[in-house]
Amino acid sequence: MSKLVEKRTVDMEVIGEWVDPASRVLDLGCGRGALLHYLVQTKEAAAVGVDLDFKRITACVGRGLSAYQGDMTGFMKQFPDRHFDRVICSRTVQELDDPTGVILEALRVGRALTVGFVNHGFWKNRVDALLRGRKVRNDVYTTEWFESSPSNPVTIADFEHFCAAKGITITRRAHLLGDWRTPCPALPNLFAGYALYDLAR
Amino acid sequence: MTDPEENESPHSSLASGEVGLVAPRDFVCASPFTFKSGQTLPGFTLRYETYGSLNATRDNAVLICHALSGDHHCAGVHAADDRKPGWWNNLIGPGKAVDTNRFFVVCANVLGGCVGSSGPSSVNPATGQPYGISFPFVTILDMVRSQKLLLDHLGVASVHAVIGGSMGGMTALLFAIEFPAFTRLVLAMATTSRESAQAIAFNEVGRQAIMQDPDWNHGDYPKGGGPRVGLAIARMMAHITYVSDASMDRKFGRRKKNPANGEAYNFDVQFEVESYLRHQGQAFINRFDANSYLYITRALDQFDLAHAYGSLEAAFAPVQAECLVVGFTSDWLFPPEQNRQIALALLRAGKSASYAELSTDLGHDSFLLESEELYALVRAFLERHESAAVDFSI
Repeated sequence: MSKLVEKRTVDMEVIGEWVDPASRVLDLGCGRGALLHYLVQTKEAAAVGVDLDFKRITACVGRGLSAYQGDMTGFMKQFPDRHFDRVICSRTVQELDDPTGVILEALRVGRALTVGFVNHGFWKNRVDALLRGRKVRNDVYTTEWFESSPSNPVTIADFEHFCAAKGITITRRAHLLGDWRTPCPALPNLFAGYALYDLAR
Repeated sequence: MTDPEENESPHSSLASGEVGLVAPRDFVCASPFTFKSGQTLPGFTLRYETYGSLNATRDNAVLICHALSGDHHCAGVHAADDRKPGWWNNLIGPGKAVDTNRFFVVCANVLGGCVGSSGPSSVNPATGQPYGISFPFVTILDMVRSQKLLLDHLGVASVHAVIGGSMGGMTALLFAIEFPAFTRLVLAMATTSRESAQAIAFNEVGRQAIMQDPDWNHGDYPKGGGPRVGLAIARMMAHITYVSDASMDRKFGRRKKNPANGEAYNFDVQFEVESYLRHQGQAFINRFDANSYLYITRALDQFDLAHAYGSLEAAFAPVQAECLVVGFTSDWLFPPEQNRQIALALLRAGKSASYAELSTDLGHDSFLLESEELYALVRAFLERHESAAVDFSI
């Protein structure tokens, strides 16, 4: 397993612990459906994914998942309040055009919202930016600025501030060190490489 | 849909990977059949073809549902020197997306049709004359129920999948609603859960072209006769709705039939697109019955799942099948939004449903497209439960 795939499975395990068995789960930006497939296999989740790309939807369909090709906000607007037990936004928030709109809409259609993101405040990223003066590139953000989707470099401090400002309740946090495995004991905005939040309204 | 001869790339009809020589058969149902309208027939015939073989557990059947002007001949050829294969030959065959090495593929001409199944051009045994418009009114539900009887007759215990585009997509959806425990997968493409005003309007123009032709004679005409002008015009108009501005522009542009003649100040054919449409109309009248055209377009117009069951979610409530809906960006007859709404309603009803959208510029007939992406999707869907191993690839 490559380093990134290994990290991906850790991410899935943490999210898996937060998902109740047989619950109805929506994954925003589901990609090829790896996380949803894992949740179906381990939690018997009733899973739906949304993605923009035909080939990724094809991969989800081949995995036996329900997947919808289209815009995630447009999709959520078609569902009544609290239709899903949990909405997951894993490594997607930093690429959204309207993160506030998506997060608030996800908190309407979902009883809970799990957000996972790479912490751009992680010390290595800071050192990188300070010493090299270049866009952060690492195991996760492997691309040059001109090769990648627009990305908001969100930090743990930024995200906590956003939740407070919007009156969003943080019900659970998981801050993991740079190995994305070991819990971060202190100063997460500096020492956590990855952050997972469980949110409710 | 347009004729299969429109497929842009050539084929080798008997090459490996092809279904090859096939022969249609007739299923004669001798018991009375009551239509949704309440009208009855003492029995009916469905002409059908099958490819591949039914497995020991009798659960590998794939039912293919055709569109308005399609028929049971969806793959293979009827003679070694046939110029064109069945209308979905690109999708169906050994090793193809609908793999006849694994699946027992069944396709029947719909009730009300004119290619061997009972319809208005069939002879009414009571009079010795064609039924004409005394044939019972046909609905999509009647097509579904009659095809279920065919599958029962063939010994099919449950269908692996029901697949269809356009009207075939409606049939496939209704199959899952009517026979939930019998239907494992449903694949509906370029379709709708209810005909829009625009789609009804186009059908009405076609019907008027037929009925205003004096040779229609209230549906009473001999076999081979009838409103040839009206039917050809109906087909010419409908054909335009199956393609797109971009695809017509690419195929014909403003090219002239005889450029050397310069400007022609008369109403003969000038542009290639005119010549093409006239050819389409003429080809259609040799293979299609005008009354069948009236019946089937009426069946399409009346299709409205939300109205029939109270709401789309209520319509889908009994569905047990996993569903995949595919829309095509340039389809303006049954646009992506109408396909999207089917998948969304299924999901709201708590069903397993997916929606995929293919970017094409070929219009409504895109579902017949030769597209590796589409084949991959169809194959992934049909074979989705065959690899049970957890795969962590991203």
